[in-house]
Amino acid sequence: MIRTVMFAREPLRAPFTLALLVVVPALFVIAAAGALSDFATALGGSLQADAAVALSAGWAAAFLSGALGFFQAASARGADRRLALAGLGPARVAASRIGATLVLACVAALAAFGALLTRVEVAHPLHAAVAVLAFAVLYVAIGVIVGSLITGPLEGSLVVVFVFLLDAFAGPGMTGGSAPPWAVSQTAAETLIAAGMGVSSPPSDWGTLALVIGAALVIAFAAFVASARNRS
Amino acid sequence: MSVGTSVAVRPVLRVDGVAKAFATGPPWHRRRVEVLRGASLQVRPGELVGLVGENGSGKSTLMQIIVGLLARDSGTLVKPERLGYCPQQPLLWEKLTVSEHFELFAQAYHLDQESAAVARDALLGELAFSKYLAYRVEALSGGTRQKLNLALALLHEPQLLLLDEPYAGFDWETYLAFWQLAERRRVGGMGILIVSHLLAERERLTRVYELRDGRCEVVS
Repeated sequence: MIRTVMFAREPLRAPFTLALLVVVPALFVIAAAGALSDFATALGGSLQADAAVALSAGWAAAFLSGALGFFQAASARGADRRLALAGLGPARVAASRIGATLVLACVAALAAFGALLTRVEVAHPLHAAVAVLAFAVLYVAIGVIVGSLITGPLEGSLVVVFVFLLDAFAGPGMTGGSAPPWAVSQTAAETLIAAGMGVSSPPSDWGTLALVIGAALVIAFAAFVASARNRS
Repeated sequence: MSVGTSVAVRPVLRVDGVAKAFATGPPWHRRRVEVLRGASLQVRPGELVGLVGENGSGKSTLMQIIVGLLARDSGTLVKPERLGYCPQQPLLWEKLTVSEHFELFAQAYHLDQESAAVARDALLGELAFSKYLAYRVEALSGGTRQKLNLALALLHEPQLLLLDEPYAGFDWETYLAFWQLAERRRVGGMGILIVSHLLAERERLTRVYELRDGRCEVVS
């Protein structure tokens, strides 16, 4: 717990980071959501205005969480590995590092959700909140996986952006066809769009969402542990 | 002059025939570079052993294999459970304070709060950087970072201390303090392996190995 707090405190000591975590998602929801609906229509999609605003909150939380996950895993890799080898073990370091990133991602998700509430009246606010949080957690996992495999800041952040773009442009409502397998946030997006349009999602969707998030976190944990393990 | 020789004592570190090669270049033009070709050395308790070699001879590779950061291709390695490692580049968290670093490593070494505080204060005094306890690493000079780097390796009084170019960035007084610190640990029974491209204080060492063509040779 102490380690998680320390690792979460670390990036927040750069005052600009906290400001970005709050301001960027809020600005994205407020400024970009309108254009998103037009963009989806131009691509042949069917994203309505309120649904676009709701979805923009998920994406705002997603891309910040992805970047956070990547930099948390990659930038401190040397020191984290040293700590793991010193006796803490890779699993405990991974749990602390991922836990700290999830705390930070919650701040971004909260800011995005807050901005969403100021833009539109959400019929199912709890559903929308969970869906925005699901985006954040999913992208924390993606960021950590990339950060465990790639250390270069330019290469790693480009990979995270690439995954995000593939996912975002192939997601539900954005194009006319069905979502391809690489639309990793598809279930979260469907849930969020439904909440934005005042429709309640069926329990099976929530089950699928929990499964996707759980699997992503397990893979992220395994990737981190593999990168920090003792090779003797 | 040779110090601290104790041939009958069981080695605290034994490296036998360790080999390591790296693949370099793009996949269509892969080259295999053999860095270590059966390197062997040993360190006994109470010995201060040096490992020298030219730049690129594989000293840090061998050190990283001993620590567990790199896998070896072949050979055997016997090391104690309580091991301290001081890497060439200080591996620290820029935004955490000196105090928080000690706290994290005390947890890793499974030290209770009281003994961790005693060990921390003793090291801060020995290396003369107590006043930086509340400083973040990003605010420290290169030499003070190196002191912290070294202190973290010593916090749990390891059986074997591995030092990779440990005094880079030290001023003259700290350099002398470092050798006194190493000598005190050696006399106390700690096995110490110092890796450096330049070892000026050879008279302080029990034995010096030179890493040449991927193998270790005793040179003094």
